[in-house]
Amino acid sequence: MSDEKHNAESHDSGHDHNDNFKLFGREFPLPVYTGVFIILGIVTLFELALAEIIPRGGLTVPLMLILSIGKAALVVWFYMHLNKDSRIFAAALIIPVVMVLITTWFLTIVPTFAY
Amino acid sequence: MTDMSLEKAPVAAEAAHGHGHDHFAERSNNLKLAMWLLLASEVVIFATIISVYVVFRVGPDGSKVVEQVHEIIREWPGIWLVTINTFLLLTSSWCMVMGLREIQRDNRQGLIRWIMATAVLGIVFVALQYVEYTELSHNGIALFNQGNELDGFGMRFYAPTAFHGAHVIVGVLWALFVAWNAKRGNYSAKNYAGVEVFGLYWHFVDVVWIVLFTVIYLV
Repeated sequence: MSDEKHNAESHDSGHDHNDNFKLFGREFPLPVYTGVFIILGIVTLFELALAEIIPRGGLTVPLMLILSIGKAALVVWFYMHLNKDSRIFAAALIIPVVMVLITTWFLTIVPTFAY
Repeated sequence: MTDMSLEKAPVAAEAAHGHGHDHFAERSNNLKLAMWLLLASEVVIFATIISVYVVFRVGPDGSKVVEQVHEIIREWPGIWLVTINTFLLLTSSWCMVMGLREIQRDNRQGLIRWIMATAVLGIVFVALQYVEYTELSHNGIALFNQGNELDGFGMRFYAPTAFHGAHVIVGVLWALFVAWNAKRGNYSAKNYAGVEVFGLYWHFVDVVWIVLFTVIYLV
């Protein structure tokens, strides 16, 4: 297939044909979406092990929260296409979350009981 | 520097190469912006009800109550039921995005297959959530537990998870609508904005569950 024809087909079909999953510079013979799905599954199993099997320490909860945020970011970045679309869409997620985090922080510093 | 203009959207760039497809690109960008704005309002609602749970969880009584509830959940229905549900939603998100990939390759039958798989996984998720709710209520975790040791937990648990379940039900209906539209030939490699916008909604529902699974069931 000539380069011109390949480029024309890429534009027509609206996507890149070489969408193989790459990790740490290595290319795997599966779509990016499938690679992300496998990572999400592995991280979920690790989270479950942290919660149910591995004895809990001081870092367990922060680690689980970081893993959860990482999984959410993977979905937003690859599946919701923020890696290709305008970054302004990210504001729709970030601004409300920041507002609610500030509100939650305010709520936690209010005394629980009146004396 | 980050480009903040809507013109960066690939659909617009690609369609600009074709002739007479500008309206598709514009429609696609408008639909996506509208969906992201809807999702922004959804983020506020979900974040608020999740933060209500978190404030209760870190409070003096909340920690003891949540530990008791986790013990009940471990006996039955068990954390495995919720884990299966988590994998169902992760898989459904993967199916959704593979469906989008198929229509970008102009394969409508592929899109229909993947979207139907998405819908089926969503239905199973809701069914298992019903089983979970039934078992939890039989074990004393109700909306209101006034006077007993689980007081205050029920509403803070059921509100975010049920609100999320309602979103899954809406998503399943929407998936069936997308499959029906695909069957009628309304999508192609040059016109798949409807599929993309549904995908944004469905992946958002997945993102919310990722957070709920950790915050409510694991932590």
